[in-house]
Amino acid sequence: MSRLILQSAVSGVLVGGMYGLVALGLALAFGVLKVLNVAHGELLMLGGYAAFFAFTLWGLDPIVSIPLVFLGLFLFGVILYFTLFKHVTRLAIGPRIKNSLLLSFGLVLVLQALAVRFFTGDERTISTAYSSEAITIGWLRVPVVRLAGLVVAVVAAFLLEWVLTRTRFGLALRATSEDWTRAALTGVNVGWIYLTAFAISAGLAAVAGSLVGLGYSVSPSIGLGWTLKALIVVVLAGLGSMRGIILAGVFLGLTESLAAVWLGGEYREIAALVLFLLVLSIRPQGFFGRAHA
Amino acid sequence: MLVVDGLEVAYGDLQVVWGISFEVPEDSIVAILGPNGAGKTTTLLALMGLLPVTGGTVTFGADPLLGLPTHKVVERGVVMVPEERATFASLTVEENLELGAFTRRARSAVDETKSEVYEIFPFLAERPTQKAATLSGGERQMLAIGKALMARPRLLILDEPSLGLAPIVVENTFGVISTIREKGVAVLMVEQHVEKTLDLADHAYILEMGRIVVDGPGTRLATDSRVREAYLGL
Amino acid sequence: MPRKWLAVVSGSAVLALAVGIGLGSDNQHLLTIAIQTMLLAALASSWNILGGFAGQISLGHAVFFGLGAQTTRELWLAGLPLAVSVAAALLVTAVFAAVVGVPMLRFRDIYFTIGTLALGVAIFLTVGNVRPRLSSLTVEALRAYDFSGPYFMTLGVLLVTVAVATWLKNSKVGLGMMAVRDDEEAAGSTGINPLSHKMVAFVVSAVLAALAGAAYAYFTASYYPSFPFSVVWTFEAILVAFVGGMGTITGPLIGSVFFVVGRDALPSSIEEFQVVVFGLLFILVVLLLPGGLLEGAQRLIRRGSKQDTRSTSNEGTTKSKGKELV
Repeated sequence: MSRLILQSAVSGVLVGGMYGLVALGLALAFGVLKVLNVAHGELLMLGGYAAFFAFTLWGLDPIVSIPLVFLGLFLFGVILYFTLFKHVTRLAIGPRIKNSLLLSFGLVLVLQALAVRFFTGDERTISTAYSSEAITIGWLRVPVVRLAGLVVAVVAAFLLEWVLTRTRFGLALRATSEDWTRAALTGVNVGWIYLTAFAISAGLAAVAGSLVGLGYSVSPSIGLGWTLKALIVVVLAGLGSMRGIILAGVFLGLTESLAAVWLGGEYREIAALVLFLLVLSIRPQGFFGRAHA
Repeated sequence: MLVVDGLEVAYGDLQVVWGISFEVPEDSIVAILGPNGAGKTTTLLALMGLLPVTGGTVTFGADPLLGLPTHKVVERGVVMVPEERATFASLTVEENLELGAFTRRARSAVDETKSEVYEIFPFLAERPTQKAATLSGGERQMLAIGKALMARPRLLILDEPSLGLAPIVVENTFGVISTIREKGVAVLMVEQHVEKTLDLADHAYILEMGRIVVDGPGTRLATDSRVREAYLGL
Repeated sequence: MPRKWLAVVSGSAVLALAVGIGLGSDNQHLLTIAIQTMLLAALASSWNILGGFAGQISLGHAVFFGLGAQTTRELWLAGLPLAVSVAAALLVTAVFAAVVGVPMLRFRDIYFTIGTLALGVAIFLTVGNVRPRLSSLTVEALRAYDFSGPYFMTLGVLLVTVAVATWLKNSKVGLGMMAVRDDEEAAGSTGINPLSHKMVAFVVSAVLAALAGAAYAYFTASYYPSFPFSVVWTFEAILVAFVGGMGTITGPLIGSVFFVVGRDALPSSIEEFQVVVFGLLFILVVLLLPGGLLEGAQRLIRRGSKQDTRSTSNEGTTKSKGKELV
């Protein structure tokens, strides 16, 4: 029994890193643009397919192709920003959040349907030579592909935190997320900040997608499930710190895995939902920090 | 230096500013006074490109200013300190100042400007790592002005700089404004403290219901019977 | 008065036509289209009670449709009479909605919307995990299958839904809901309890969605149990309610006719892009109504009664600083 719990805890921590990584992008877009993109999971899905096809068609290892996949979805993010999200950023914060949510809800359907049409509904996993390898500590198994996910998530969080706190661009990002009018009056090109933040958010989703394709699996319908996890993580962690988001992701993964030991794996989503409702009930206004004040 | 001619601003169907004209010469302090709801802040935000303008022209130096996005207006050297002591609460004093020098023009001289700002506001130099949120109201106002100076403005626009400050701090603020002018920066300000402002301003305009009703040198308006009656309660 | 009579007359005419089609036609294509239209109209009307009347935009509506469908289906296939199965499904859904509604309705605005989305996704995934196998009608049931049963059941479901919505809209409770929608604080200060009004809307909306789900479970030969829980149902209901006109009785009905007939009329070459087309349509609708889905609909409802002047790019600033700016 304790073996099972420990092994589950390890899987929980590993998948939790992915939750955190997915939440990083969601939090970035929401924090800076006040745009709630529930199609974030669909961007992850597209990133997963990009890595999958880079591997099957060109033989590119998914870890190697991460920068390419990032760039690809970064550009797609630019397109999405100009065609869709830019238009909602003209609204006041309240309607902006609501409309971006509905808008991206429509986008979820569109991207899912297109993915089914072009990639079929099949589940895909990137099977590399090292896919089945694991680091074993006694009887404890840590699959390397999933460990890679956690490592990349932590690296991405530190990188993002470094950009936010140590660069001029990061300073402008933080200023814009606090008050876009004041940022504009300070000389920040707010439109450009919005664009780059959104594109980076899309790129981060794609990086997560690569790792999901490597350590888990990709299909057209996976998006909303990942978005849900990212939303829960953001509710848990707030928007303040990137490291905090990864930690909250790990906490969620751990909670789910341990709940699955007791409830059965089929009900892990319910554990996540209950956690979500619980946190939201405890601090209904605390959701997303002061952003919606 | 700044010439505003026939400016009109409307929120949708609701026109707020009805064709006002005024100018701010080099090295001068110009004030816009008037009751709440007269259109003062609206005028300032329109100059900064934050509100759509429905008519009139604005030139700064030789160039038209209207139609430029806000960050370009700042880049040209027109910098505004909005009301409510607009600093970034989550950033430190130093970060606020660095951000102030965000434009390309200001960036090259950032260290030099910073020492000038520290000269005017010595307390800022003492606590660079303090979060703006933890400063007092007066200190935050000084930081907001310091941040604006970091952009190396040619024209500094102040929206109610004394709003909500203690009397002693108000005195201080007015002193800072004349120091700024002495450094060669023109000032356009909106204020509630009519008497003090008329004392300081080279020229003042009185705005009512979106129209300029009277203007003249500050000292002359201070003795104008209509102004004295309506705004000084005399 | 004449307006009311017009409604009664045209309503009766449509009803007579619907009954006539059911009795007289054996054109399977026509009957299928009609059933789909009525089902969607019922689902959209049920969403509209919560979204249009009470102003709470739910993205988890499919949960109740699915719960109604799944409960009905399991009990019915286990041998219970259909009526008993449906009644049980409605009861189960009402209890579930009341329990979920307690935390959910405390969340205001966007938080409620996010909460319902989370509910929808989590329940959908869980049903997929717990009931992974295809649910099929028995061979005997399939052999006896004809279109008139499903047709009249769906028609009945739609009539019940429209009747409840109409009654609600003209009732004191319904007026309270609309007051909460327009301004929750103001409604609260005039003695209306926002929470209980939202709760009534939530539960009634859920039970009617479950009723539509029951019809679906009755006439669909085979489906994966998670399918009625799919977010696609929520999406179609919202699209239809919105395009037709939110907060109105006829809006969801007219919207469904346009939606299903439009979908049927799509050239077969782009049939597989149906969802894409409607998704884009939905996005367009959201973009073209800048005050927000709900605000936009409200503007349409009280068209001309009040001019909205707050639509400048600076709305954030004007709003936060109130009247001082002007």
